Amino acid sequence: MHNQEHKLYEELGALARFVDSAMKAISAASPQIMSSSSQLPAAASHLSDLSKMTEDGTLEVMRLTEMIQDHHGQIAKDLSAVGEILRAMDCATLAGRLGNVTSVLAQNGKCLTEIMTALSFQDLVAQRVKKLVAILDDVQGKLMELVVVFGLQESSEATHDTGTAGYILKQLEESKTTAMKQKVADDILAQFGFK
Amino acid sequence: MPADANMKILVVDDMVTMRRIVKNILKQLGFANVDEAENGQEALQKLRIDTYGFVVSDWNMPVMTGIDMLRAIRADEKLKTTPVLMVTAEAQQSNLIEAVQAGVSNYIVKPFTAETLQEKIAKIFK
Repeated sequence: MHNQEHKLYEELGALARFVDSAMKAISAASPQIMSSSSQLPAAASHLSDLSKMTEDGTLEVMRLTEMIQDHHGQIAKDLSAVGEILRAMDCATLAGRLGNVTSVLAQNGKCLTEIMTALSFQDLVAQRVKKLVAILDDVQGKLMELVVVFGLQESSEATHDTGTAGYILKQLEESKTTAMKQKVADDILAQFGFK
Repeated sequence: MPADANMKILVVDDMVTMRRIVKNILKQLGFANVDEAENGQEALQKLRIDTYGFVVSDWNMPVMTGIDMLRAIRADEKLKTTPVLMVTAEAQQSNLIEAVQAGVSNYIVKPFTAETLQEKIAKIFK
């Protein structure tokens, strides 16, 4: 009986030491966990921005493609009318050449439709980005649980975006504004004689 | 019976780019009477108010998914015969089987070509 109690105490002691060491390890990782946790919403936001940027770009390409399609439609109508007149005037050679132009227009029309369908890549990208954002939200939720369960404190180190991830996020944040500064760049270039 | 070029078609997708692509292809195929909805719920509301000859729908959408909308259409006495073509990135066999069991008229996997859409429409209305 005494031996069994002794063994139990030994095992409890080992367990306590393990818990203590685990707590210390988690505590040592606390700044990184806090930092990662705080970086995730920013990373998710950049992903969503990426999706919006591809959408804006895609819509602009679509607008221009549709404009060309409309122009093609108008040109095809006019060519057809001119072709009829030429045939009525017995200008078969000219009418034939117009027919070739119409055929090229039709081929271009096919290419334009293919450009439109190829733009469906944007939908696939957006769907994957959505899934990635959901994963990041989930990871952040789990990290927050860890913070709450283990009572991790936000240290001064954690408040800074540490490591490569922090550096990249900072660059991404800065790039949001630099894209808007072409006018400033032009002004500076103008000062150096660029016109 | 070939597809009536004047029939009203409803394109259902939460992504504006996809709605525009499908509308554009349909226009190239001669279908100019095309309306849009952003999700299954909005589509059902439109289908119950107006008369549509054909529905082209995405699968993954917020508020109401394409598959739920399809089930609602098939359960509605007035709408149940409306052809529904699913256009989706869900390329898993289980999804396709689910769609078939729900009464889909045909199924296109993204990304797709204008020829594929034309071929599927021809099959639905043959």
